[in-house]
Amino acid sequence: MTFINSQIWTKTSRQVLFIALIVLIAGFVSNRIRSDKMPFVEDWSAKSNLVTPSGENLEISLSEATNLFNKGETVFIDARSRAEYDVGHIKGAKSLPYKEADLKFVEAMAGISEDSALITYCDGETCELSMELAVFLGNAGYKNVKVLSNGWSVWKQNGLPVETGKG
Amino acid sequence: MKEEIRQNISMTLYHGARIVLGIVFVYASYDKILHPAAFAKIIYNYQILPDELINLSAIFLPWLELSIGFLLVIGVWLPGSVFIGNILLIIFFCALVYNKARGLDIGCGCFSTGEGETPESNLYLLRDFSFIVIAVYLFIKVFILNSLGLKRSS
Repeated sequence: MTFINSQIWTKTSRQVLFIALIVLIAGFVSNRIRSDKMPFVEDWSAKSNLVTPSGENLEISLSEATNLFNKGETVFIDARSRAEYDVGHIKGAKSLPYKEADLKFVEAMAGISEDSALITYCDGETCELSMELAVFLGNAGYKNVKVLSNGWSVWKQNGLPVETGKG
Repeated sequence: MKEEIRQNISMTLYHGARIVLGIVFVYASYDKILHPAAFAKIIYNYQILPDELINLSAIFLPWLELSIGFLLVIGVWLPGSVFIGNILLIIFFCALVYNKARGLDIGCGCFSTGEGETPESNLYLLRDFSFIVIAVYLFIKVFILNSLGLKRSS
């Protein structure tokens, strides 16, 4: 860009460097003195996100989930939106969209006892709806709730029973 | 006389743009500086950066936004702050477009199957685009017009 004189680029680079320095210091210092300081590098893998604040790992493997499904010993809870549920869901799953969990809870969980084994799922490896829903159900008194990570996708990919419409 | 009015309007527009963009950056940084962990979660949900860079971005990026926002508002170091502002806004915009294209709902980090097309994502895009317009205008003012010697204001 010859129409921009070179002086301004020198000035810009110098200022960018200064700004970077200020930001580095501010970031370091603030992260050091705050009570909730964060590590600079942290394990963000999907698995570590399926651990509750109390340290309990809610993840269930696909094979375990299939096993329980075949024995009819579990109820799947679909945490996605109702529209997505209607397009397709795990056979027999109940729809309880996490975003409307408060409103739909009574209707969706009618007839499911608190001792039942529940498996929540949504779609996408990083989808948090299923985890959030599992914690929500746990707080609501359900003591046996697991999360099938990336549930809808892995279930479909493995050709396991699905159904469409209002399950 | 006419030339003077034109100059005045142009200066008002220029200072207005820099102050508005500055406030946007300061405002955007405020909540993130208070809650870096929540911001880290948002970055994670975008599913673009490698895990190692998530916390680093959450710790430093808000301070970068605050710094350039502050500099823009007070009108100091404009070449540096306008330059960084443009880069940041363009990166954010690309991240939004990329995730929209692959159908990732950045609100929850979930891939929606197209059914739940979120109107918010269009709103974000529009909002970011208007910030880019302001930033590019400032870039032209600060870098091209100033260096042609038409105005001196940095």
